[in-house]
Amino acid sequence: MPDVTPPAADLTVEHATCLGCGCTCDDIGVVVRAGRITETRLACALGTQWFGDGRLPARIRAGAREGDPVAALAAVAAKLHDADRALVYLAADLPCETHRAAIAVADILGAALDSITSATASAGLLAAQRRGRATATLGELRNRADVVLFWGFDPATRYPRYTARYLPDPEGLFITGGRRGRTVIAADIAADRGPGDADTRVAFAADEEVAALSLVRAALRGHSLPNAPEGSLDARAATLATRLRAGAYVAIVSDGEPAPHRDPRRSEALIALAETLNASTRCALSTLRAGGNRSGADAVMTWQTGYPAAVDFGRGAPRYRPADDAAALLARGEIQVALIVGSPASVPASIRDGLSHVSCAIIGPSASESPFPAFAAIDTGRAGVHERGVAVRLDDVPLPLRPALETPEVAAFRDLWGPATPAVARATVSAICAALAAGESGATGEASATGHRARESGPELTVAAALAAAGRPQDSYILLRALGATLAHLEGAA
Amino acid sequence: MSSLRITGGTVHDPANNIDGEVRDICVLNGRIVASLPDDAPRLDARDMVVMPGGIDLHAHVASASVNVARRMLPEEHAMDPARAPLLVRDRDADITIPRSGSGGTVPSTFTTGYRYAGLGYTTVFDAAVAPVSARDAHAQFDDTPIIDTGCYILMGNDAYLHRQIAGGEHERARDYVAWLLRTTKGYAVKIVNPGGIELWKRNVREITSLDDAAGDPKVTPRTILETLAGAANALNLPHPVHIHCNNLGVAGNVGTTLDTMRALSGRRAHFTHLQFQSYAGERGKSYASGARQISEYMATHPETSGDVGQVMFGQACTLTADGAVEYLLHASTGRKWANIDVELETGCGVVPYTYRDKAAMASLQWAIGLELFLLSGDPWRLVLSTDHPNGGSFMSYPELIHLLMDRSFRDEQIKRINPKMLAGSALADGLSREYTLNEIAIITRAGPARLLGLSSKGHLGAGADADITIYTRDADRSRMFATPRYVLKGGTMVVEEGQLRRAPQGRRHQASPAYDPAVERDIKQYFGRYLSVAFENYGA
Repeated sequence: MPDVTPPAADLTVEHATCLGCGCTCDDIGVVVRAGRITETRLACALGTQWFGDGRLPARIRAGAREGDPVAALAAVAAKLHDADRALVYLAADLPCETHRAAIAVADILGAALDSITSATASAGLLAAQRRGRATATLGELRNRADVVLFWGFDPATRYPRYTARYLPDPEGLFITGGRRGRTVIAADIAADRGPGDADTRVAFAADEEVAALSLVRAALRGHSLPNAPEGSLDARAATLATRLRAGAYVAIVSDGEPAPHRDPRRSEALIALAETLNASTRCALSTLRAGGNRSGADAVMTWQTGYPAAVDFGRGAPRYRPADDAAALLARGEIQVALIVGSPASVPASIRDGLSHVSCAIIGPSASESPFPAFAAIDTGRAGVHERGVAVRLDDVPLPLRPALETPEVAAFRDLWGPATPAVARATVSAICAALAAGESGATGEASATGHRARESGPELTVAAALAAAGRPQDSYILLRALGATLAHLEGAA
Repeated sequence: MSSLRITGGTVHDPANNIDGEVRDICVLNGRIVASLPDDAPRLDARDMVVMPGGIDLHAHVASASVNVARRMLPEEHAMDPARAPLLVRDRDADITIPRSGSGGTVPSTFTTGYRYAGLGYTTVFDAAVAPVSARDAHAQFDDTPIIDTGCYILMGNDAYLHRQIAGGEHERARDYVAWLLRTTKGYAVKIVNPGGIELWKRNVREITSLDDAAGDPKVTPRTILETLAGAANALNLPHPVHIHCNNLGVAGNVGTTLDTMRALSGRRAHFTHLQFQSYAGERGKSYASGARQISEYMATHPETSGDVGQVMFGQACTLTADGAVEYLLHASTGRKWANIDVELETGCGVVPYTYRDKAAMASLQWAIGLELFLLSGDPWRLVLSTDHPNGGSFMSYPELIHLLMDRSFRDEQIKRINPKMLAGSALADGLSREYTLNEIAIITRAGPARLLGLSSKGHLGAGADADITIYTRDADRSRMFATPRYVLKGGTMVVEEGQLRRAPQGRRHQASPAYDPAVERDIKQYFGRYLSVAFENYGA
């Protein structure tokens, strides 16, 4: 096996992209000393934690067997191939390239396919499918929004740099003076308060949230209750409407991630409000999403299947099943084998509970440290730290990843066999199938030596073996590519 | 590699002046060659029609905006599930996974590639890619098999460009155009509603003339058009500026379109989806056909070219960078609406729409498109499009060809449409023209290739890419063009006996104009100050 050259001991990667939250800041300076990340310039606390020092576990386990990526891929392929009903689940921290290859696995298997989005942000997604949505990229908001409404949340906690990079602090082409050039309105929904330094605030009780949004729309359309008592819901809504109407370009910022105590209908009510405001002025919604390239999974699922989440390939073509998402299928006991692609730590509790009853394989960062059991776990690198590719910001803007700890072997492979070159060498599949046959027959000695030689053929497996030998995490894209082609062969499709 | 002699077919290869001659076409290693040894494998194409592969120079198939539309249409996808094709299993070849998907007016990427190839189309350009999202467009193209692809980059509402125009910095504007094309791996310069998208972001929803100011008084639709057309021509881009004029969809906009054409008189320019830009009548009052005025102008101005943007009855999805138009459509139809203002460079609007033959406006639009085709004096300069999926899906091209080739088929449809707005329409007066097979080969192959500057596409001469479509001759032109018997893409037989059998990866076309690298310093400074994406991470 070839030796793995360790990444250059000391380097600084500029303009690196952080996936600590959906803001996906792409101005980070990642400093590497002696193979470890020692500094992440400009990153917030969330980002610094997300990058870590770059050290991740690098175990490969399938059943009792350790350290053999080909055997592990063969075991995963065999289990998925034999299952009547499989689930492929896109968890966090991997690039879009891996999503693309993982969806192919679900497609070829006729499996169910889902992502974290179903459990966290589906209310907003479904509302946008019903009504559409007026929005803008973050740079447009930064340059143009003169009135900013934070709806029942403060970005400081979950999206620390939103304020400084996008809204409301920076200077804009049409906003001189930065923060001073904008009016910031905080809508406090019960204990969920907007930013403390807002120019004005308006408070609503938890059960007033959706009604308030409707009344603001009514007021914008000129249907306010005359003589509403001061401090009444109608009066507060009318005041808010007046302030919004004064904006030349209004940004309504809300948190798209779950808040179980809040009314889920607020997503649609916010969309409706933005729509109404656009009748007389301009308005865009900015819906914030958490980290790990969640928006990337939505985007790729959409372009490959037509649906952003909760897809079922069971009838040979994708069907949209938002009410029968992964959590529901698992709860009903319909799934036999699940493939988790991404960080197991990011898998929501509702899915984890269901996964404890099925055969589960995990390919992703820190797979071996999964909080739920798995028959196979292959540790991979993390998007933007070890793995290259594209991530999608919460406003659907794609950004390149600049992994400071990518190995030369992975880099060389990815230069040659990116998604623009989807065909996989048959040698890769032959080697995995040989390992599968050897595993099934329990062969040792001569047969496994033959298998061993075969598995070094095929570029995917050459890289996988080199990474394993060097004790480095695997590359998720390379593994999923090999797995998809193997399953296509086993399923008789290629 | 492989060789193939296609024998005995009736060849329509207008670029080489071959109009329906029986002759052999020889293919070697993905290209067309003059001859092959006698023992080369043969494909019997007797009684079949042989043409170059189809080329769509204006469609919306791969971009962040297309994905917005895709995400918005689960109801359409649910009605049109697309199973994976049964590809040939070749034990010696690398493994390509056949993929399922969903259709409707905005199909998933794999389905888009398979369906275009299934219609005999082998090259498709996406007509509207926002620079900041170009990476997304290329990723979607990578998942769109078989067809060659490329994209046009939206520039008409770019704040940096506007600053250069305001400052009289024409050279820097030209260098910026070149830099933008290179950094986004784009093929051509696209202008959508020049200045109008910037104005929409400022809540100004109408353009009254080409001299309206979009911010700075020196930045007007006219100066934007002049700057970009000048840059594209100075840079010798393979395709000229591709223009979606101001006031799309507005009654009386034929005046705006003619003003735009006159503004660029003498300079190469392509005017896209002209049907949507050829409305006579009066704003807010009445619509009528302005097709004849456009046709007459184009007849005497060889520097102009266009595509029609035909409306086809049935479901469509309107999808454009022209956000203001989509708001109007939403407000007037009540259909769901998406809008994305894209940072300091462009916009995006989406509204699903249905063209009904009983609706007066849709009937007029349908008629204007056909008039443009039937009045056109030069098929090389007015080519086929539906502005997919705006006027209808690319899947309706065979029916559109049928309408052009068969007057009786057309007349049957004319009887069914709503005649209310058709007064003054040339179509209602009985246009008898029927397109020939050769003219169809021009408006769907040779013409687009020439307008795109693709010298190895759109013809069957030696050296051309072996992108070839072979149809079974059929008087029912809808059926004939919907189901090619064989399709070769780069010499690979992708459709065999009417079935999709192979799905090789297509090629990406891009322009790589030169520019003075000094421009990057200024652009970088501007990015650092205003954009939310690092200069180094921009593009594709």
